Amino acid sequence: MSVYRISYRYANSLIQLAEEKKIFNKISADANLVFNTLQSSKELRAILKSPIIKLNDKKSLLQKIFDKKISSQLQNFIDFVVEKNREEILTEIFQEFLNLVDKKNNLARARITTAIELNEQQKQNMEKKLQSNTGRKISADYKINENIIGGFIVNINDVVYDASVKHQLNLLRKKFSEETVINN
Amino acid sequence: MAEVRPDEVSAILRKQLAGFENETDIYEVGTVLQVGDGIARVYGLSKVMASELVEFPNNVTGMVLNLDEDSVGCVLFGESTLIKEGDTVKRTNRVASFPVGEKLLGRVVNPLGEPVDGKGHIQFEKYLPIERKALGVIQRQPVKEPLQTGITAIDAMIPIGRGQRELIIGDRQTGKTAVAIDAIINQKFTHTADAKKYGVNPVYCVYVAVGQKNSTIAQVVAKLEEAGAMEYTTVIAAPASVPAPLQYIAPYAGATLGEFFRDSGKHALVIYDDLSKQAAAYRELSLLLRRPPGREAYPGDVFYLHSRLLERASKLSEDLGGGSLTALPIIETQQGDVSAYIPTNVISITDGQIYLEPNLFNSGVRPAINVGISVSRVGGNAQIKAMKKVAGSLKLDLAQYRELEAFAKFGSDLDKATLRTLAKGARLVELLKQGQYTPVPVEKQVLSVFIGTNNYFESIEVKDVKRFEREFLEFVELKYPQIFENIRVTKALNDDTIQLAKKATEEFLEKFKKS
Repeated sequence: MSVYRISYRYANSLIQLAEEKKIFNKISADANLVFNTLQSSKELRAILKSPIIKLNDKKSLLQKIFDKKISSQLQNFIDFVVEKNREEILTEIFQEFLNLVDKKNNLARARITTAIELNEQQKQNMEKKLQSNTGRKISADYKINENIIGGFIVNINDVVYDASVKHQLNLLRKKFSEETVINN
Repeated sequence: MAEVRPDEVSAILRKQLAGFENETDIYEVGTVLQVGDGIARVYGLSKVMASELVEFPNNVTGMVLNLDEDSVGCVLFGESTLIKEGDTVKRTNRVASFPVGEKLLGRVVNPLGEPVDGKGHIQFEKYLPIERKALGVIQRQPVKEPLQTGITAIDAMIPIGRGQRELIIGDRQTGKTAVAIDAIINQKFTHTADAKKYGVNPVYCVYVAVGQKNSTIAQVVAKLEEAGAMEYTTVIAAPASVPAPLQYIAPYAGATLGEFFRDSGKHALVIYDDLSKQAAAYRELSLLLRRPPGREAYPGDVFYLHSRLLERASKLSEDLGGGSLTALPIIETQQGDVSAYIPTNVISITDGQIYLEPNLFNSGVRPAINVGISVSRVGGNAQIKAMKKVAGSLKLDLAQYRELEAFAKFGSDLDKATLRTLAKGARLVELLKQGQYTPVPVEKQVLSVFIGTNNYFESIEVKDVKRFEREFLEFVELKYPQIFENIRVTKALNDDTIQLAKKATEEFLEKFKKS
């Protein structure tokens, strides 16, 4: 079975559990912590993937790392995943879980790239505009990349809103190279 | 060299800049997860359509073939080495399509419509999807117009009608392509003013070369150019050097172009040379996409691969303009094995087949058509009346000859009637031999077959048959041109013409014997 399908199953059951117990917000905040930890530590991911390390060792390791920092329900869930021998896709499970949480909250994560730092007013305007465009709440992540020369690029999932000068120049180059041939 | 004035340059630049609008570009992207062997798995692109074109970096395009839960499987139309993991993939919002229009005539293009003949950029107005559903029953009518191939053996015994699908099948080196090329060259007549006068509509040709050597394609193009046939022909080239996905879509691109002519009320002839290589290319990419293999490792839908392509050949009803799309697929067999998977499939799809044999080819019977097992299921209705009349007994005579030929090898104790049949058969076989790139107009074919079946050759040596035929046709052209004219105009052989033909033959026979 594909990784996507497995992680979706686990993530979905976690969501259902959280809703049932009415601890949705707590769980999703904790899940964020777990996901960030997994993302930031390469060693941890390597250990989880390693077939040599015993299940019990992995379990106690995870318990020690997250002890007291996350709710017991989430801790149990992690133990359960390890027990089921799916610890190597723990990152994917949490990724999928956070995606589902976003969907539930009607939240879109936008990555906004600009050439220069935007001021607060501009940021607010941008988010407002995106919100009305997508019909979803926007959680923006700002990045600065001087290579785009000017303008901005917004990534929301698969969709790209590209108003960078670099892209415009590329389009212009393409247009010129196509049309010069015809005119001759 | 002409001088370039700077103010002109800036004027042009200004003009082009004027049409350039600065606005936010919205597009959808995905990320390459895995790439190799001409296949890429892409994450994202959640709204992409099946068989949509996608853009990879370095000017590589791809086509979406697999839509999975969490990823998308694409085939690449370029080098997979130019793409690496993590690259961005862009949607084009356009399903794989092929440019159509008269501008393509005389050009050699790849299956994406990009010219490869070095004659410059083509500005297209219209693109049509390469995969289109074949027309239904209501839109069609029976095949009724002939498509003259210029090869006497075919036009007399295995006639092809406009809108038919006739398979050309045979081993390697048996002249399959030659038959197809001759058929293209013979359409030159249909583009002349004379043809218009006799009510023959022009036929536009598309030659799709799949998995062939580049040198072979160059040869074909040169030959067509030499014969003046490129004016009404487009060559779609997917040589062996291009990735399998391009070879796979090439026939569909050809069909799309043919349909454009058909739908505008014109007539088109599309040659798929050859479909066994296309099936092999499709097998390659199916296996790479991890589709389960079946018989001979072909995927399960290899029948549909060819049936949906050949179903697009059709004769439109008069309401829709009466255009037609004739398909001549070519299949290469291995050691004459027509019961292999792909040959049986295509035989069952088409309306008949022309079977070429290496034995005949080697014994000098060229075109090496085995008349016994070649058939045309619908073309008979399309034959002109004159040809129908004279060719009726031709197939029978040849069948009798073949039967007796086996006997004749055992001994000389044969009765007179048998000897006569044998002699006649040998002369008919000789008569049907024909050189490459020399298509014969139908009125001459009629007269040749007329003298053959009426046994005027009885007194002529087998080796002299071809010379007799040639000189006789020249003689008629000079002294009795009204015979040809009659056939061309009425398309039938009335009693007066027959009498005249008999008279001409007897007159010429006298002269020929003296020489």
